[in-house]
Amino acid sequence: MTGRTNGHGGHDVVVVGAGVNGALLAKRLTRAGLSVLLLEAGPATAWTFDGYTQHLEHFYTATSKGAESAWPPAGNAPQPDPADVRTGDGYFVQRGPSPFASTYTRLQGGSTLHWLGVSLRMLPEDFQLRSRYGVGRDWPIGYDDLEPFYREAEWELGVSADAAEQAHHGIEFADGYDYPMRRVPPSYSDKVLAGAVDGMAVDVGAGAVRLTVRNYPAARNSIPRGDYRPVGAVDGYASDAAVHDLGERCAGNTACTPICPIQARYHAGKTLAQADRRNLKVVAQAVASKVLVDPVSGAVTGIEYQRYEDPASPRHTVHVAKGRAYVLAAHAVENAKLLLASGLAGRGGAGDLIGKGLMDHPALYAWGLSPTPIGAFRGPLSTAGIEDLRGGAFRAEHAAFRFDVGNDGWRATTGAPDSTVAAAVTGDRLYGSRLRHHLVETLRRQVRFSIAVEQLRSPDNNVTIDPRHVDPLGNPRPVLRYHLDDYTLAGMAAATEVYREVFRQAGITDCTDPEKGTWFPSVPYDGQVFHYHGMGHLAGTHVMGGSAEDSVVDADQRSWQHRNLYLVGGGSFPTMGTSNPTLTMAALTLRTAKHMTRELAG
Amino acid sequence: MSERAGTGRSGTAVLATEPGTRAEAFLALSELLTGFGRVPLAGTGQTDSYLCALDAVLPAGMVDELLRAAGSLPEGAGREAAVGPAILDDPKLGPVARNVILMWYRGTWTALPAEWRAAYGASPLDTDHVLSAPAYQAGLQWVAAGAHPAGALQQGYGAWAAAPEGAGP
Repeated sequence: MTGRTNGHGGHDVVVVGAGVNGALLAKRLTRAGLSVLLLEAGPATAWTFDGYTQHLEHFYTATSKGAESAWPPAGNAPQPDPADVRTGDGYFVQRGPSPFASTYTRLQGGSTLHWLGVSLRMLPEDFQLRSRYGVGRDWPIGYDDLEPFYREAEWELGVSADAAEQAHHGIEFADGYDYPMRRVPPSYSDKVLAGAVDGMAVDVGAGAVRLTVRNYPAARNSIPRGDYRPVGAVDGYASDAAVHDLGERCAGNTACTPICPIQARYHAGKTLAQADRRNLKVVAQAVASKVLVDPVSGAVTGIEYQRYEDPASPRHTVHVAKGRAYVLAAHAVENAKLLLASGLAGRGGAGDLIGKGLMDHPALYAWGLSPTPIGAFRGPLSTAGIEDLRGGAFRAEHAAFRFDVGNDGWRATTGAPDSTVAAAVTGDRLYGSRLRHHLVETLRRQVRFSIAVEQLRSPDNNVTIDPRHVDPLGNPRPVLRYHLDDYTLAGMAAATEVYREVFRQAGITDCTDPEKGTWFPSVPYDGQVFHYHGMGHLAGTHVMGGSAEDSVVDADQRSWQHRNLYLVGGGSFPTMGTSNPTLTMAALTLRTAKHMTRELAG
Repeated sequence: MSERAGTGRSGTAVLATEPGTRAEAFLALSELLTGFGRVPLAGTGQTDSYLCALDAVLPAGMVDELLRAAGSLPEGAGREAAVGPAILDDPKLGPVARNVILMWYRGTWTALPAEWRAAYGASPLDTDHVLSAPAYQAGLQWVAAGAHPAGALQQGYGAWAAAPEGAGP
């Protein structure tokens, strides 16, 4: 890829980060005739089909098969690892009081390489938490402003769902609109659960709510509607980018996270492959180290970056990328870290907010045994959720939450099936026909819920840097302060009561026992102890708002202080609601792409 | 994306499972330990590589000692029940036999208990690890679950909507 430069010897736009947001910008801007330089800190190993396949082999032989198990980092672009949460000794410098439990991937393709693909829109009320419930913040834009971009994002990512099933809690779709592909079929286990649970009433503080087990929108290829052509596996170096017709439909590999073997689940490489290559230059193994700013005007004058040839060696050369506009699309934590490392924080107003207000979806696991076999360990890792407690008047008192209903047994909660086998063999001393019978009886009945709980911004949850903690290239490692407040903890308490009621209703034997499951950090609350895991939904570190006094970026994700700089991604979210953030990030980025095209191409 | 059985070594497998060979003795023991018959066990394609892994990690002669112990079990209906007292309860052979079960079900080697290592010898190869990508995929745990190895042997679009065995009418 060569990429033309503009008449000033630079590119029109320099983008830092080749994840979903950087790829969407690259596609939209290059197709509008703008030249884009895309810098990626990590290697581009997932960009070729052969490279992607090697990541798959890495997954097969990984002892632990967590979210990052297929995606080992390059030493020069280190990343957090789930195992580090327990040791407290990893890429993140954890200052507590509670460990921050989420991770992300620093490779070309970003965290979409390992994500699950859940593509829920945020609820209209999620944008107005302050004015409706007196908590959190309002967004400077509303659901109606973002709705056209949600539609675009659903087509860009390739989302499968039926609009009629997704119209709840005030979510509305434009007339005649439907998702580009039909919903991914519900699993057998979803159907069994729905048969037992649909219509049951629960009350979490604002009156009875009836529950429904609902298929959720997923960026996984299904049966297309109309003339939509699903995008399957890609090879960045092939002439038409596509690898035959591999991955044009989900085939049930039960491995969305960490790696879909056939690339039927969306990742950012698919979008990048659709950019206008004549206008695009991608430089991988290029770590942005400093945003250079004109001290008088505040305008960004360049991005300093460190280019390394050998991922195993810190040897590197230093360069400066020049453009007319600049975008940081490096992830919520990395965007904040880079601004802090550039000395752009702490100048009052917007600058004081950089890195402040880190959010995630701290999540609870619940696991049990269904009375009859439900076919665990088959299909996408999940296909349904319970969405009914994502909104409502109770949000004045405590956090909202959503249930993800697993198809993968107790894999995430205990490390099953391996742990189930080990417990039977080493613990219960079973062998032979009794062992086989026990496993047949047990594994097929394993049920898992993951309950993502809303978290609001807190100034005490933040990303900072400390010159004593640097990575091999001398760049600062993120220093995190994190805690769960009573709003979230009360939501966890309500969610715990609801899952127990659902288990009882469905005849599921509750086996939830964090002492016997995979280790996760814990926090006490009101006589209980909650063990929480991170959903990888990092947000809030360069908050969006209506003025430079109370936010870092405006509704276009444009920096208030540096008007040719855009900060995109989850970092811009004022609140998270309970939806997995990728679709909303994509919609915001597509809105920003439209704004930038107008600004720069005019 | 991948194949369950080992490929290109069927000739070896036929020779190796002839009566009187170590592989044959290993399969006979593995039947008793796993509850799977020798046809599905051999069908994983992993027999030879599991024997090699055992030979590599265990002190010299111990694999043959285990196989001899299995060969001395009484024939007939009580054979499987005899494995417990004769092998699994043995302080030396028990942990090794349990590791054999874990190999077949999970495709992994599991580090032996510290006291076992102290008593019978430690090997640098005695660490928790997946034996190979084919071994991971051949794990009998996926068969027991009525499923498929995560990330391989895909079942096809919508297969997850079908009722599992034993789900009733």
